Amino acid sequence: MTPERFRTIVDAYGADPRRWPDEERAAAEAWADRHRFEADALLAESAGLDAWLTSHTVAPPERAFVERIVATAPARRPAKPRGRLWWQGAAFAGIGLAGGLAGAFAVSFFVVTGTPTQAHDSSSYMTSSFDGSSADWSGE
Amino acid sequence: MSERDPDAELVARVGEQDPAAVRTLVSRKLPRLLALATRMLGDRMEAEDVAQEAFVRMWKQAPHWKEGEARFDTWIHRVALNLCYDRLRGRREDPVAELPDEADPQALPDMQLEARVRDERVRTALAALPVRQREALVLNYYQELSNIEAAALMGVTVDALESLLARARRNLRAQLAGSGFSKDMP
Repeated sequence: MTPERFRTIVDAYGADPRRWPDEERAAAEAWADRHRFEADALLAESAGLDAWLTSHTVAPPERAFVERIVATAPARRPAKPRGRLWWQGAAFAGIGLAGGLAGAFAVSFFVVTGTPTQAHDSSSYMTSSFDGSSADWSGE
Repeated sequence: MSERDPDAELVARVGEQDPAAVRTLVSRKLPRLLALATRMLGDRMEAEDVAQEAFVRMWKQAPHWKEGEARFDTWIHRVALNLCYDRLRGRREDPVAELPDEADPQALPDMQLEARVRDERVRTALAALPVRQREALVLNYYQELSNIEAAALMGVTVDALESLLARARRNLRAQLAGSGFSKDMP
């Protein structure tokens, strides 16, 4: 380690030995120990800037942004449980069959008993202007 | 490279679309990439866009990733830096001209206000650096990449990196000199 190299290291990487190149750290620290006065002057000059740099922080990502990033990842589809699917299919088929039987029963019931009763008087809402009703004032 | 890539196993699981691995990778890399892009661009919104795009590239790359010469972290730094450079090239005006917002002295206690002012001064000084000097400083000082990794990422020799770092620090000292910079500050 030369004085020039020590200065170059401090000028480039700052005063903290942990930031110095791994392969030169021990030699540089040894040089600083042997030349304390000279080294301290150089280190003090750089330490001030290090403190400024360290004071600059970047806020961590917000939770919503993290979730947005996670949502961009291709998602693996969860494996479908086969047994459950079989039961679901059987249930749907059962419901369909029951509906069909109920419909068939209702139709056969009306066929046997005759025409279903009219729920409403057909006088008003079943008529139209084609029935000759005067509701369209055509007679006026 | 003799050491194993510490991200390799995680990236392999991401490639298999393991949701837990995706979350782990995001929590491990997003703060680093966001810090890198924010310091390079000086703009949080743009930095978030860069980080998001970098993750889209990660998802595409993960199924094909193989441990080789480059670490995954180095590769993703390269991707993010390229995205930053695309944006810097697209800017007509130098962001240096943009002055930091003045903090409202009524709104913050003294200590917080001082910290915020200091933070803004450094941010402005960083933004005023030539891009290559800023890149060298951000990679080596803030991202804590080794000198060899940072030099390789930038495509320069370690000597050239040290020269960029030394010039960056000299420029920052000169800029901060007008902001109450001293050996003992802040």
